[in-house]
Amino acid sequence: MTGREVYLDYAAATPVDPEVAAAMAPYLAERFWNPSAPYSRAREVRDDVERARGSIARALGARPDCLTFTAGATEANNLAFAAVEGHVVVDAIEHESVLACAATHARRTVRVGTDGLVDPAVVARAIRPETELVSVELANGEIGCVQPVREIARAVAAERARRLEAGERTPIYLHSDASQAAGALSVNVSSLGVDMLTLSAAKLYGPKQVGVLWASEDVRLRPLVYGGGQEGGVRSGTENVAGIVGMARALELAIERRASESAHLTALRERLRSRILGLVPWAHVSGPSNPKRRLPGLLSVSFAGIEARRLVIALEREGVFVGTGSACAASRMRVSHVLEAIGMPRELAEGSLRLTLGRPTTEEDVDHAAEAICRAVRAEATRLRLDDASQAARVAALMGSWR
Amino acid sequence: MASVFCGLSGGVDSALACALLVEQGYDVTAVYMRNWSQDLPGFRCPWADDLADAERVAVTLGIDLEVWDCEREYRATVVDYLVDAYARGLTPNPDVMCNQTIKFGTFLDRALERGADLIATGHYGRVRRGPDGRARLLRALDEHKDQTYFLWRVGERALERTLLPVGEVKSKARVREMCAERGLGVEAKPDSDGVCFIGPVGMRSFLLDSLERRAGDIVEWESGRVLGRHDGAFLFTVGQRKGLDLGGGPARYVVSTDTEKNVVYVTSDRSCPALWTREIALADMRWVSGEDPGAGRYLVRTRHTGALREAELDGETLRFDEPVRTVAPGQSAVIYDGTRCLGGGIVSRSGHAPF
Repeated sequence: MTGREVYLDYAAATPVDPEVAAAMAPYLAERFWNPSAPYSRAREVRDDVERARGSIARALGARPDCLTFTAGATEANNLAFAAVEGHVVVDAIEHESVLACAATHARRTVRVGTDGLVDPAVVARAIRPETELVSVELANGEIGCVQPVREIARAVAAERARRLEAGERTPIYLHSDASQAAGALSVNVSSLGVDMLTLSAAKLYGPKQVGVLWASEDVRLRPLVYGGGQEGGVRSGTENVAGIVGMARALELAIERRASESAHLTALRERLRSRILGLVPWAHVSGPSNPKRRLPGLLSVSFAGIEARRLVIALEREGVFVGTGSACAASRMRVSHVLEAIGMPRELAEGSLRLTLGRPTTEEDVDHAAEAICRAVRAEATRLRLDDASQAARVAALMGSWR
Repeated sequence: MASVFCGLSGGVDSALACALLVEQGYDVTAVYMRNWSQDLPGFRCPWADDLADAERVAVTLGIDLEVWDCEREYRATVVDYLVDAYARGLTPNPDVMCNQTIKFGTFLDRALERGADLIATGHYGRVRRGPDGRARLLRALDEHKDQTYFLWRVGERALERTLLPVGEVKSKARVREMCAERGLGVEAKPDSDGVCFIGPVGMRSFLLDSLERRAGDIVEWESGRVLGRHDGAFLFTVGQRKGLDLGGGPARYVVSTDTEKNVVYVTSDRSCPALWTREIALADMRWVSGEDPGAGRYLVRTRHTGALREAELDGETLRFDEPVRTVAPGQSAVIYDGTRCLGGGIVSRSGHAPF
């Protein structure tokens, strides 16, 4: 063991950037005042919250008063779904929080392709006259596909236009959870064409339990948390000042660094992918083939017949920390709903690792991790008496049976 | 190389059991039995964490780990039995039932079907061949940890196929050391206490999930005076002190409960005759060998790791030389000849309590 530790699970949690931590620190102790209090100190803090709101609004190309701060993306998603009562359309690989919210509505869950991509035409067909909300994430945190949200927005806009002409008064909105995407992709709401957008600080090198829901002025949000009427009455509770300031700084940094970071992460991901495929030729990489449709820092790789959960344990002993699909799915001990929805054969799905790279990741980290992963895979393959030739044939057969 | 299926719970004892079997040259398959995955209000069943620990052990030892879903059997034979017995005013031992029907029942049968030669668990007990070549159950080398109190309903047929490697280790401290020496990563886990699937939530919350509260009187055993109210006699057990909520005064102990009349009898006198007994009536007796050893003097244990006391067995009655604490109906009385566990019975009543 070299003593090197390599963290490759940035889609699960990111460390708070030192600059973000520095921006937050004053609000924990010296500037602790309640933004709603009447004296000038407190008013200053309130102004700081509003400055943060303004900064995030600029990043979204939106009006500050259309932002609602929440305790994370899950709550923001809940808030978006609480804005409508009727029929909703979601795709099958949304985050658990979106699927769980959709489950409380009349709904249509549309399928995705084997690469995880949603077909806008399928969404258009799923929209019914009574549909009030369509929710499609900007990027998937498990297999890294980037959804065609703009094209889906066009389908929603077409339905909205049809209802207007027909004199139908049921509104229809498009919501997108951009939690996993905001580090790598533009989240400008007008160019995306969405009506609601969820962001999380926790995936952007900001603090956990801070998120935001942007909703266009056409959307009437309904509160889930009642109390003192903060956030325009939509989300009561004393503002998480340090968290909000931290989130604004985190998003500013993400945007500043977006281009260089995307290039850096894409290069590292390709390096990781080619190292792994070089050492284990029968490894299978999932996700869209079009590089524009992939998150730069995410590699979903599957080893047929090998248990990913065992790999995680073996890798941990070598100081390499990886995910096996979404955390919620893992604790419930079943193949993740995402891998199931893309139709991945079970033998592959159970052997799937989700490797996500981040801002601090280096080439040395990638090389170390790739070797450790392949050592662990080889050790398991040896234990199970699986050789390269039969594994290659097995993967070929599995690929043949996949849809 | 004989094939052994060894139960692996994620705890210290079964982890060492697997490690020792691997070292002894067996072809070991570890099995995590998922008996209960339901969350109770206010308490998340830690099965997923336990499974993660079990996986860590299996990967370290380089052995297969299978997850067997035994929830249906467990619910039918252990959980329902538990609730039903409490509803009838008994205080059952679910671990006794679990060992008989799940670990040395379902698990054994499925393992044999899968081609296992033997099964193993992390229990503190020992299996030895007698001079007649038949399997016998002995108390563990570590008397403080001995679990034969929970194994008395496991029959010879199962023992014939059973290895209990941890029962041969001299102390629990040594078990932890041995786990640490092997890098199994579980040596610091706390001992599990109480019924595994109920855990820290407590029997009370568990029972209230299935049974209705019913207000009734708490009556002083000596005077018949009503001291207060309770919310269901089935929630109380003989000897219990906590949860009586009598608003101060001396500590009081439950002497007996009457679930039909819904009355809980208590006393403040620790030497109250109803708290002590010389005679216990047994029912549903069972012998490891399948053969009744007959009337005679034996050692008897009426609670897990409780004192071994001399008693005279006569049919279904146990007579102790000295008075012993009253045993709640439903508990086990386990009978030993020296270190050998012969079997036992379920307590149907203790001498003094008013019935």
